[in-house]
Amino acid sequence: MQTNRPLVEVVRLGLVSYQEGLRLQQVFVNRHRSGPAHALLLCQHTPVYTTGIRHKPYPGPLLEKLCLLGADVHRTNRGGLITFHGPGQLVCYPVLNLGSFRKSVRWYVGQLEKTVITLCSRLGVEAATSPHTGVWVGDNKICAIGIHCGRYITSHGLALNCNTDLSWFSHIVPCGIEGKGVTSLSRELQRDVSVEETIPHLLDAFAEHFLCQLTEGERPEQNSGVSST
Amino acid sequence: MKMAMRAALRCLSGNFPPRLSRLSPPALVPATRLLYGNRSGCWRTFSTTSVHCKGKEKQSKTSSSTREQGWTQLSMRTDNHEALGDVVYCGLPEVGQRLEQMDEFGALESVKAASELYSPLTGEVTAINTELAENPGLVNKSCYADGWLIKMTIEKPEELEKLMDQPAYDKFIKSLEE
Repeated sequence: MQTNRPLVEVVRLGLVSYQEGLRLQQVFVNRHRSGPAHALLLCQHTPVYTTGIRHKPYPGPLLEKLCLLGADVHRTNRGGLITFHGPGQLVCYPVLNLGSFRKSVRWYVGQLEKTVITLCSRLGVEAATSPHTGVWVGDNKICAIGIHCGRYITSHGLALNCNTDLSWFSHIVPCGIEGKGVTSLSRELQRDVSVEETIPHLLDAFAEHFLCQLTEGERPEQNSGVSST
Repeated sequence: MKMAMRAALRCLSGNFPPRLSRLSPPALVPATRLLYGNRSGCWRTFSTTSVHCKGKEKQSKTSSSTREQGWTQLSMRTDNHEALGDVVYCGLPEVGQRLEQMDEFGALESVKAASELYSPLTGEVTAINTELAENPGLVNKSCYADGWLIKMTIEKPEELEKLMDQPAYDKFIKSLEE
């Protein structure tokens, strides 16, 4: 039965630091206080390693070593272990109120996985889920997923390798899963697949799996002047 | 409410171990004991077993409180497990931490999703389940027994009144599925 499709605003952030991405997510999370205000933030990040709420596997010294590689490092409140974000990787942060969809985190993560699998298949890549969250091509992860859900408002999201420099991943055990590798759309298709080429397919697949209506939104006003950090 | 009290008393007189030697901490609220006193006029504290036999205690949307000697034990509700998935991590507060109603007291992680836990009551954390550090899956397998999350004092018993009892909770869950 078709019910009213929730409206989701697509906001294209371009290339932003991870910190800026967090700040903008918070802006959109806060909008939910006065009623549903679903948004889909799309961006690429400058090189950064991020960890989730499980801190123990990643003590300070280990993270400092990663800084020396020239990347930022951030601890976050999302699920999942360590991963890398950088140019060439499509990062998507759905900031949804699951109350307008289905109040199940498990369902939500499953739908994100299906969205990416559909996107991959449209481009000619056969991807699948596995016992490990994320989207895989054989033993190689093509898309990492790690989310946060507070009072049914989602944040963080997914990171799909389009033409990412995969050598950044060699310094970590991605998502803490030993013995597995990473891949990208470009590697699988043996041609350059950019983030720009991938975005329309992601949006189509997202609208299909989340039964929502997408509309183009605007990036909130940037902080004027130099930030205090 | 009166019917619930009568049901509770029936359970209490049945299988109630005497625990008079263990006095409730001063933070305990007399009003609670009034509800559960037995007919002979001898005030007794009540054990979790007797609360369970009447069905589950008051519910908030995510946590379930069961009483143990005037403290309350918080557990993740069984019907949340399907929605959450297998718990792989549980972050809990420190013993002694004071919580206001709706304060975050911890976080759970499952299927790469992290969610906060919100306290249904105001009180002080008196114990945390340290087993969950090594074995977070207990939250799924045995949420009311081995997989309990924290124990805390009940500072404001009136907050209990506003939590849902079982029929109200069942109705609430049904309304989510529509």
